[in-house]
Amino acid sequence: MTAILRNNVDVDGPVSAGPMVFVHGFGCDRSMWRDVAPAFVQTHRIVTYDLTGMGGSDLSAYEPRRYADLQSHADDLLEILEALSLRDVCLVGHSIGASIALLAANRAPERVSRLVMVSPSPAFLDDPEAGYRGGFAREEIEGLVKLLEENQLGWPMQMAPTITGQPVEAPSTETLTQSFCRTDPEIARHFGRVTFFSDRRADYERAACPVLILHCSDDALVPMNVAEWMRDRVPDATLEVLEASGHSPHMTVPDKVVKTIRQHLGTA
Amino acid sequence: MSFERGDGLDVATELIEDAPCGIAVTDPDGRLRYVNKTLTQWLGLPPGGDPSRATFASLLTGPGRIFYDTHMAPMMRLQGFVREISCTLDVQDGPPLPVMLSGVARRDAQGVCTRFDYTVFDARERRAYEEALRRAKREAGELAAIVSSSPNAILRVDSGGCVRSWNNGAVRLLGRSAEQALGRPVAEAIQLLDRPDWFMREARALRDEAEISFEARHASARDFEVTLAPIGERGLPGASEDWSVILRDVTRRKQAERRLQVIFDEMRHRMKNTLGVVAGIARQTLPGPSAEQLVSRLQALSSAHDALIRPDDDIGSEPVVEIGALLAFSCKAAGGSARFVIQGPRVRLSARQATSMSMALHELVTNALKYGALSSEQGQVRVDYTLDGPGETGPFRLRWREVGGPPVTPPTRQGFGSKMIGLVLQAELGAEVRSEFAPEGFRFEVAFTAG
Repeated sequence: MTAILRNNVDVDGPVSAGPMVFVHGFGCDRSMWRDVAPAFVQTHRIVTYDLTGMGGSDLSAYEPRRYADLQSHADDLLEILEALSLRDVCLVGHSIGASIALLAANRAPERVSRLVMVSPSPAFLDDPEAGYRGGFAREEIEGLVKLLEENQLGWPMQMAPTITGQPVEAPSTETLTQSFCRTDPEIARHFGRVTFFSDRRADYERAACPVLILHCSDDALVPMNVAEWMRDRVPDATLEVLEASGHSPHMTVPDKVVKTIRQHLGTA
Repeated sequence: MSFERGDGLDVATELIEDAPCGIAVTDPDGRLRYVNKTLTQWLGLPPGGDPSRATFASLLTGPGRIFYDTHMAPMMRLQGFVREISCTLDVQDGPPLPVMLSGVARRDAQGVCTRFDYTVFDARERRAYEEALRRAKREAGELAAIVSSSPNAILRVDSGGCVRSWNNGAVRLLGRSAEQALGRPVAEAIQLLDRPDWFMREARALRDEAEISFEARHASARDFEVTLAPIGERGLPGASEDWSVILRDVTRRKQAERRLQVIFDEMRHRMKNTLGVVAGIARQTLPGPSAEQLVSRLQALSSAHDALIRPDDDIGSEPVVEIGALLAFSCKAAGGSARFVIQGPRVRLSARQATSMSMALHELVTNALKYGALSSEQGQVRVDYTLDGPGETGPFRLRWREVGGPPVTPPTRQGFGSKMIGLVLQAELGAEVRSEFAPEGFRFEVAFTAG
């Protein structure tokens, strides 16, 4: 199976325009970019895709042993760039997707020229010995894995919802099941572990291209000191703090995100 | 229904504030705009909330915060609702509170998200129950993995004798796939030599036993140990009447047993031959009476060896002898059961005890024939013995009484026979031995722990 099919790749925008490839994070799929990616469709060649094991990707390709290493997701991304013959690419990654984009950039600097990281974190776990506060203790990540086990989000499909005022038999019922963020629970637990136990500080410290970091002023997952760590340790990094709450500014304040990226890409 | 004019607002406010569930309203970016009294109390927060916990995520424990940001918030945005999310509240100065929460996104006329409404239900009992279910599921999964990977054939058979499950071990051991076996009578799917319809026979024979085991040869010339056990409690209305059937390949053990039996038979044969040769040499070498004495003692030893049999199905264990078999030889030597009266239960002796006892009995009979009760027409030997305890082993006591013989006078010197008895019983076995030359007849007693 080609990388294009395997990763449910979608391409839009002018063929000759500079490519922007969007990498989603843990929890959802490429639909997370729906308020940001279209804003660049006039000026860029836009590529969105689902990480292997998520969304509309080929779930059977999710080989746990292989995907225990984040680098495998980065290799998938490079296969997509190769399949589409993209060069001089701007990779836009959210959260763990930003780390995947970074690993791809470091491995293939000849293809990737810019990184935009939305709410990235090189490591979510605290490392007291190194004086690094990622924000979470090991037990909390174990607790997350347990939560993922308890919340299978319509996998298999739950009964149609009876949300306030929405008739059960309405034609739109199908789309009302919890289909967004629906993942094979086994894969969700596995990728959750891979995401939150990963420590890519060393890779961040040798980023191979200029990096724009977008960080929300009130992010429950990434403390401000982590954003400052990246600003200080990642070579050629620019930190932009958005006055926003949460971990997903591309969903909560997409306009600000689009504007900031435009400014830095010089295509305002 | 509708409220009385004037009461409406009060009742509605009370309904929301004191609802039997938590209610929270946030901005689309997760900032809290409203938390009802119930939820505030559950969280252990002061009335009006805590400014340091201004977002919905901050009401949750660490794992809940991650789940909110990675799943719930995107879902609220993308699909407009979440429901029945299992989560945990971070309670001020208290244990975390498991909750079940649902949310819906409100939009304005232009379809722009304006706020998120959440209802939060106490899920302590439900969580405990689900946890128990998950644990049971995990355990069942582990058991299933054990059954599936077992080298033994493990099957479920219904009360009609038909195969209902067939594990990988059965596929390997019996060379038949699950599809070929399921639904078929088990005695047909697994054909055991000389045991047609084995399942129904054994199941009927089981009755109140917990399980039944037997060894049988399969049509493939392999030997199996087969164990049948009922699954679940019998006699409960509606309870399963199925059986578990486990087959273990014991072909190698059976082969080893057969080889041992051949070796054992060969040993016995050689031993008898050797004793025969020694008897021949004695006759050639010693003067007549001495030779006969030695030969008769050798025969006693030989007959003891003959009596050394093994239980058929327990080849690996020590050979054992039933005391009755030894006394039968003595009885024959004494002239039959009219002159040699035996009374006692079944007693199993070890090989060593059997050899010593047969030698001692030989001497006792010889003495009785020569000097004691058996030397006269009316004389009789009465042997009775007891065993203390259940089974066929334990403290053993044998009494030898001679009656109706010539008057007894104690011997002036100890003969070889008496020495022999002392030697084999006391020195060899550590037995307690007592003999009495009573005028009306010789008496003898021996006691040791049989088995």
